[in-house]
Amino acid sequence: MSALAGAPPIAPGAGGAPTAPAEKRGMSRGKKIFLALVAAWLGGVVFFVAVYGFKGHKAAEVASGAFSPVDEFKLDTWFKVGPVAFNKGVLYLLITAVITLGVMLYIARRLQQRPGRLQVVVESFYDFTRRLSRENLDESLERKYFPLIATIFVFILVTNLFGYIPLPVNSGETFKVFGAHIPSLQIYATDTNVAFPLILALGVFVLFTYEGVKHHGPIGYVKSLMPGGVKGPIVGLIFPIEVMSNFLRLISLTVRLWANLLAGHLLIAFMGGELGVLVGTQWVSWLLLPFGVAIFLFEAVLIAGLQAFIFAILTAIYIGGSVESH
Amino acid sequence: MLHSLIAATGEPLEYGKAAGRAIALGFGAGGGAAGAGAGIGAVFNASIQSKTRQPELRAEVERDQWLGFALTEACFFYGLVGGFIAFFL
Repeated sequence: MSALAGAPPIAPGAGGAPTAPAEKRGMSRGKKIFLALVAAWLGGVVFFVAVYGFKGHKAAEVASGAFSPVDEFKLDTWFKVGPVAFNKGVLYLLITAVITLGVMLYIARRLQQRPGRLQVVVESFYDFTRRLSRENLDESLERKYFPLIATIFVFILVTNLFGYIPLPVNSGETFKVFGAHIPSLQIYATDTNVAFPLILALGVFVLFTYEGVKHHGPIGYVKSLMPGGVKGPIVGLIFPIEVMSNFLRLISLTVRLWANLLAGHLLIAFMGGELGVLVGTQWVSWLLLPFGVAIFLFEAVLIAGLQAFIFAILTAIYIGGSVESH
Repeated sequence: MLHSLIAATGEPLEYGKAAGRAIALGFGAGGGAAGAGAGIGAVFNASIQSKTRQPELRAEVERDQWLGFALTEACFFYGLVGGFIAFFL
């Protein structure tokens, strides 16, 4: 087949027409692999329908309602150190903080003239966040807040990406390895708990309010919430809306990060087999598996970085906007 | 047929609650997806148009495009989270 593919085109009856029938003579290797995968997928659907039947029955836990899809995000307290209850969210947060600090300090300690791979990545983060804060903040503010914006970006990025690595943290379910009960592997992200984005957003909210009050004075800040050029009785209508939208920034910052990651993880779980478990048919799980993989890649490649970028740029925009007068 | 369905699920109150939850989830997720879909389409539409008109502004347009994409996409999740809250709580 491959020898044939390399042969010059012999088109009987084509009469020298410049056709390019590369796909007519044998397929390229990538296409063959793709078709084989599609065939395996469809064959798998048929196999599962044949073995387990078209209409499966639900597992006992699902039918009785003991199994809930949101159990994935339930935080079991493992142990307590003083007032701090230790659970998988805390574990993820600590690991993320250690990784972020470790990598950044390691790179900062030994910057080289000819950068290695890791240094190139860190430098690109630096350039990116530097440009982002320069465009949205004036010079004195930029000097003050660039570290914060860069930290927010890198921290959220590492948190998000770390959430796509399976770790044995699901203490609700266990499996046995050599007699030891190991918690099941699970992908969990700290962002799927609302407390984490809420604290970040609260910090940002307090900061930009503080900067605004410092710049305009308390009365001036309240006045500066009002867009310029609005006069007359319409002020009474616009002003509450503007004040409310100022507070809604807090909610939108929180919910954007939280819900994106939560819905992403739920979707990965649903598509990666949970839907089949819920409706009790095995072939549905197999049918949806490729979509699960696709959504996983989409989330890990695009959404994780995009959410970090959005949070960082909105921080910059809000802080920059609070010192600006309309 | 509908009557037998209602009878099979037992209590009318429970049935109504379950139906309301399902409607809330469907409405939140479906309506949110429709709105965010139109919004994301508009964002990319504007981005493609401005990029073809002024290719030299490509980098800046793309940055704003991703910003707009993420802001619009988040609106889908507001609806979805509302639906989930209604469904599970």
